[in-house]
Amino acid sequence: MAMPRSYGGLSDYRTVPAPSFSPYSENGGSVVAVAGDDFAIIASDTRLSTGFQIYTRNQSKLFKLSDKTILGSTGCWCDVLSLTRLVQTRIKMYQYDHNKVMSTPAVAQMLSVLLYYKRFFPYYVANILAGIDDNGKGVVYSYDPIGHHESSKFRAGGTAGALLQPLLDNQLGMLNQENVQDKTYTLEKAHAIVKDVFISAAERDIFTGDRISINIITKDGIREDSFELRKD
Amino acid sequence: MAGVLATERTLPGFSFENCKRNSTLLQQGFKPPTAQKTGTTIVGIVYRDGVILGADTRATEGSTVADKNCSKIHFLADNIYCCGAGTAADTEMTTMTIMSQLELHRLNTGRPVRVSTAKQLLKQLLFRYQGHIGAALVVGGVDVTGPLLYSIHPHGSSECLPFTTMGSGSLAAMTVLESSWKPDLTEEEGKVIVRNAIAAGIFNDLGSGSNVDVCIIRKGSVDYIRPFDIANLKGQKQNNYRFRRGTTGVLSTRIIPLVTESEEIKKTEVESMDTSA
Amino acid sequence: MHYNSVIEEKLAVSTSIIACVFDGGVALGADSRTSSGVFITNRVADKLTKITDNIYCCRSGSAADTQAISDIVSYHLAFQKAETGEEPSVATAAAVFQELCYNHREQLTAGIIVAGYDKVKGGQVYNIPLGGMCVEKKCAMGGAGSTYVYGYMDSNFKENMTEQEVKKFILHLLALAMSRDGSSGGVVNICIIDGQGPPRKEFYIGDQIPKYGI
Repeated sequence: MAMPRSYGGLSDYRTVPAPSFSPYSENGGSVVAVAGDDFAIIASDTRLSTGFQIYTRNQSKLFKLSDKTILGSTGCWCDVLSLTRLVQTRIKMYQYDHNKVMSTPAVAQMLSVLLYYKRFFPYYVANILAGIDDNGKGVVYSYDPIGHHESSKFRAGGTAGALLQPLLDNQLGMLNQENVQDKTYTLEKAHAIVKDVFISAAERDIFTGDRISINIITKDGIREDSFELRKD
Repeated sequence: MAGVLATERTLPGFSFENCKRNSTLLQQGFKPPTAQKTGTTIVGIVYRDGVILGADTRATEGSTVADKNCSKIHFLADNIYCCGAGTAADTEMTTMTIMSQLELHRLNTGRPVRVSTAKQLLKQLLFRYQGHIGAALVVGGVDVTGPLLYSIHPHGSSECLPFTTMGSGSLAAMTVLESSWKPDLTEEEGKVIVRNAIAAGIFNDLGSGSNVDVCIIRKGSVDYIRPFDIANLKGQKQNNYRFRRGTTGVLSTRIIPLVTESEEIKKTEVESMDTSA
Repeated sequence: MHYNSVIEEKLAVSTSIIACVFDGGVALGADSRTSSGVFITNRVADKLTKITDNIYCCRSGSAADTQAISDIVSYHLAFQKAETGEEPSVATAAAVFQELCYNHREQLTAGIIVAGYDKVKGGQVYNIPLGGMCVEKKCAMGGAGSTYVYGYMDSNFKENMTEQEVKKFILHLLALAMSRDGSSGGVVNICIIDGQGPPRKEFYIGDQIPKYGI
């Protein structure tokens, strides 16, 4: 925590306001997830920042929880680390207790409970969970910081969430378009759109940029991909 | 008396008529609109034959980029330019005000204005408003005394330096200048240093971004290069986003026949009369 | 650090300044640091500001305030000189400074030392600290760094020093202040005014500044 600052140079009979401590910081970044019939894609940018400063250009915000589930988490980075460590531990405990890997819907439910446990001192994080369920179908869950969650086909969160979501609604949900014949999308199309919406978000959100790290989840496992964004 | 629509001519200077109302609203918890702050990197250096000014081109509104290619190097006089950081409106209006005063001064005195005159007018204006005009400026130019560079802070203090930076990216830019500036630089060397300093701001300060603008002021000539360098290329899109014809729904159609009126005007020549005797 | 402290914080001439009389005139000294929050905006600032040909001042506090006051006082004294044809006295300069500093003491953050030479009283030093009082002294200090070196001043200042002695005294005093005070630093500026020709300005840099402690 910063020391109280003084206006050095003069006797301090002018009152110096004491800096107030905040337990939260905003470290920026965005996450996008898309669920398909037999796949799920989740991507995050890799810029970690505070204020106008960049901490690193190379920090993925995706956390592999199992071969079928990945959590994307942005916001206060120390809360992200605490929360994901807790989730990973609880997943291990589940596995040792029940001798099976936790399913994506089960992880989704558990994450909600963990978040609500800290209802009055919340984790300051935007979570998006992507994976495939027991039937091999892609699923995406999105969360608010205190545990509300909902399932959807595609979702964007983080500092550029409000910039990304309308593009997904239009290009994947085909919203606000007349005469649309085909409302389905392939993995390839979703993959390309995820890259393109990040290109657009990096143009206008100063906390999103540098690179995106993409994870594609299918029944065959997780495939990783990376894509460069602007660096300013 | 002025009408309802055409209001009276306003008095010169700022209008303070809403100050009392605004402070009351503020006390009641009203959140006032925020001005566009240009989180900025601006620099200026002196080189062998003049000065070089540089700026990035990003304007921000909170965390969103409001303008991807704005111009932060302003004209003050034929031989003086000025980079602005801080509140966008303030930097633009102060430089415009001083620009007009300098031109009147030039016409009155009949000689090119001096850089120190521009500096003095700017700092006196900023001091008068006690920091409420949030303009941080780097003024550069060449006059009868040679190349001169000043930085002026929002509260109205100024300093004359061989190289200087301002704005949120000034720390990043200053690292470049502190390590590579030296006396008697050539124009080419100077341009590279200014570009690198601005690029350091663009890449390391989130408030600065997009392109590098550069303005070179020599004795008798100015080169304003915009953009000098495109530091970032926009990403190439994977898909084509042209919407198919018919994507926008037609809710109703009404045809209003166009009535054409025509009027034919014929010009009849006046018959010439033979006036010859 | 707040990211915008660079442009939003008021520029402070956080300083070590000193002026004292010596045999034949006055000597002024200052460090060269100007900072905005934690950022040094100018490491070669000149805080010894000319008011008339033979009167200078040392500035501490807000850069904007002290520059504006100096400009106004220079203007008034130049005007008086034009009207009377005489060089303004140091006492007059100090009085004008004090008038401004006292009348606007609520709005200003300015600690100023006026020093100069005139034919009537020779070398003089006037100290005008924050509230706007004015007191004539043989040796005056100001700024945050000065608090570290009052003892040095008390034990080493003598009246009627030679120019060499006074320069050495100021150089060592400022070196001590700059080494202890984080808001002072850079080079040492010294200005000698003795009425024999124009004031002589010198600066000491790097190895020319004595090192104390480790």
